[in-house]
Amino acid sequence: MNNFRYIKFFLLSLSAFIGVALKAQDYKLPAYQQFTLKNGLTVYLMEQHDVPMISLSVILPAGAIYDGDKAGLASLTATALKHGTKKYPKARLDEELDFIGASVSTYASKESAGLSAEFAAKDKDKVLDIINDLLTAPVFDSEEFAKEKRRTLARLEQAKESPRSVIGSYFDKLLYGDHVYGNIISGTIGTVTGLTTADIQKFYAANYIPNGSAISIVGDFNSKEMKATITKMFSGWAKGKQENANLAAKPIAKPTGNRVLLVNKDDAKETTFYIGAPGISRNNPDYVAVSVINTLFGGRFTSMLNDELRVNSGLTYGASSRFSALKNGGSFMISTFTAGKTTEPAIDKALEVLKKLHTQGVDETSLASAKNYVKGQFPPGYETSGQLANLLTQMFWYKFDESFINNFQKNVDGLTLEKAKSIIATYFPEDKLQFVLVGKAADIKKIAEKYGPVTEVQIKEEPKKAF
Amino acid sequence: MKRILFPVFVLLGFSSQAQIKADDVNSFTLKNGMKFLVVEDNSIPNANMYLFYRVGSRNEYQGITGLSHFFEHMMFNGAKKYGPKEFDRTMEFNGGANNAYTREDVTVYTDWFPASATEVIFDLESDRIASLSIDPKMVESERGVVLSERSTGLENSPWRMLSEAVQAQAFQEHPYHWPVIGYEDDMKNWKQADLERYFKTYYAPNNCVVVVSGAVKTADIKALAEKYLEPIPAQPAPPKVHQVEPVQTGERRILVQKDVATPYMYIAYKAPQATHDDYYALVLLSDILSSGKSSRLYSALVDGKQQATAIFSSYGESFDPTLFSINAIAGKGVNETDLEKSIYEELEKIKKDGVTDKELQKVKNQKLIEFYNQVETINGKSNNIGTYEVFFGDYKKMFEAPDRYNKVTAEDIKRVANAYFNKTTRTVGILKANTAE
Repeated sequence: MNNFRYIKFFLLSLSAFIGVALKAQDYKLPAYQQFTLKNGLTVYLMEQHDVPMISLSVILPAGAIYDGDKAGLASLTATALKHGTKKYPKARLDEELDFIGASVSTYASKESAGLSAEFAAKDKDKVLDIINDLLTAPVFDSEEFAKEKRRTLARLEQAKESPRSVIGSYFDKLLYGDHVYGNIISGTIGTVTGLTTADIQKFYAANYIPNGSAISIVGDFNSKEMKATITKMFSGWAKGKQENANLAAKPIAKPTGNRVLLVNKDDAKETTFYIGAPGISRNNPDYVAVSVINTLFGGRFTSMLNDELRVNSGLTYGASSRFSALKNGGSFMISTFTAGKTTEPAIDKALEVLKKLHTQGVDETSLASAKNYVKGQFPPGYETSGQLANLLTQMFWYKFDESFINNFQKNVDGLTLEKAKSIIATYFPEDKLQFVLVGKAADIKKIAEKYGPVTEVQIKEEPKKAF
Repeated sequence: MKRILFPVFVLLGFSSQAQIKADDVNSFTLKNGMKFLVVEDNSIPNANMYLFYRVGSRNEYQGITGLSHFFEHMMFNGAKKYGPKEFDRTMEFNGGANNAYTREDVTVYTDWFPASATEVIFDLESDRIASLSIDPKMVESERGVVLSERSTGLENSPWRMLSEAVQAQAFQEHPYHWPVIGYEDDMKNWKQADLERYFKTYYAPNNCVVVVSGAVKTADIKALAEKYLEPIPAQPAPPKVHQVEPVQTGERRILVQKDVATPYMYIAYKAPQATHDDYYALVLLSDILSSGKSSRLYSALVDGKQQATAIFSSYGESFDPTLFSINAIAGKGVNETDLEKSIYEELEKIKKDGVTDKELQKVKNQKLIEFYNQVETINGKSNNIGTYEVFFGDYKKMFEAPDRYNKVTAEDIKRVANAYFNKTTRTVGILKANTAE
């Protein structure tokens, strides 16, 4: 077993698209072409001939925000695409993909659903045919669905064995309340139990539509030929109309004061906690500047948070902060964990560091360091064709273009101390903080009360609709 | 954007015509015995430096368990030129980031940086290798960090607890007996003198292999290595690990209690080290068992009988004989004894009837894609080249690996299944909520 010095995911506090080559003057997004089929499907093609491989990414307007009261529906629908089609029944599908070492995975996130694939260029005709069939003609076999549901329910129960696996869902519920951004992607034991193939069929028919979706293909192919193939293959996908497509545009209620959600786990030896507040949407013009300041505050090893909670005090293995940005809003959170008995000093220190960010701000040297860091760590984020395919569908989804990449260094360099000050005042919270603590309530409830009115729930129980 | 080492090879599959050039790796050794492997790759304006030290929990003994991993942490806490915190601050100011990992056999330091910062990285690495200072105050705060690391591992994954228990049963004399992170009481007891001795013994340039990949020139790397690292004196070779695990002569079983929904199962067979001839056949056998939904164990037990919600097998490179493990989580309402029986039935089928040619070709095809993915990035290149150098004795073995996999026959798979899947060399661990029944 490897023991790492630092949990890697703590480093990923910026979205994958932040940063830029140090020689960014030379760094441009490789050429690609974009076109839209008559049915509204947007297609991106980028040739990369260094290796005989192809990466593909699809994004669809079929995320958990459309779950309604059936949490987990979007996620299970995405998973069930791989239960096969008439042409490729599940056993044949699994065998054919496995035999050529191709990976095709389907999933749902908060706002969108997706498909990612990677395969050898020589297998492109076969794999593209499979992908087209999965997206446009899934059969949702009831026996396979029953098995999938049982596995999902087991996994939901297992997730409760790990505070890290569930804390995010509790936090989103607390922060977003009854807004659809609070929907729990994985679903809950209560909601998943009730799901049927009829629900899946209905969700699929309503949301898996070419208009509003995009497919990006990056790798070793000829664009002209690929354009012809894709046009022929995907043109039969019927256009649809999504009811309530703009569900997430509804205003998000702002917190009116501190609140603490205490999730009791009887056998917990640690307290795992988030301290958060509303964040920014992906199209915020200050997105890049916010990311640079967050790098300084909680987005890298020497960040203010990790320095204080880990390096100076040894209270935790890692402390970090991040902004999660969606189309219509987002969240900010500080995230860490500590032994049950050090819960109070750890929370106090996290709050102290947040306060310090406001009272002392950042200096010239630390700002320069953060800028260098995001620029220097950028290129490895665009090294593989899979990363580039993902970037193209993100550009489609969040409506940004290559200027985000090509002007990134300029935008980072343009962040002055004065601007940094206003970024901190505008986007980093000072009060009305939302706390989620997963730990042993009997030991930490008194401490929790220090930070705001406490709502206590049991990790083993069904999460409430909103807190 | 990227460059591959084996383009022809990927196109042709495991063809004997594959043109694979180990020439892409440039190698030199400094006068103090520090070996360098360099791959020039200008796909991105970045580079990396991976330092593989031949020290891990395998070099410890009871009383100082976990010290290798703790030492890895202390390597970031100050040296002569760059004091406490300065290593990370300097690296990040120059656009670099780092991490490190400790295993049973090795400790690996990983630096990722814009190629323009290469000299800074050499300065930082040479400072800590030449003259680390072990500040007692830093020792205390870092002790808290690794205790938290241990605790959060146990808190968030039942596998951690179960694998530690199984390892301790399977290895009774060899140092693989204890976990890399260490025993909690040892962690609270490491002494300054232990750390100082460890540094002198194991952090010698002659005990290290350095791999650099990225937008660099080998001649420049050589000049920097001579300037910054060659002056560091070599040390006597570290003591050999002399313990050899005695042959296991009967099945060992262990039960662990944790509040989990359904039982977790960890079945481990004794298996050989990376340099053994059976290594390649065993890796493919592991893939046949659990790689992909059409694999033997997944299709039979997760999809078919639905006795498990997840199943995987694992076998990897090691210095000394190790474990081939099969791990499963029981489905709801499933008696773990039935699950265990079904796993053995699947293993027996392979022992008796072997595998089909198509099955074998499938995992060979997968291996190729996996292999390709591993060297797609400059980081994957450094990690793989270094791993082959230290575990297989020569980085060139990485280029031979496709051929070694290609040569494995269905008969080999059947033979190794019979050779290693034996009840007498098996250790079975079960973690569940109620161990009193």
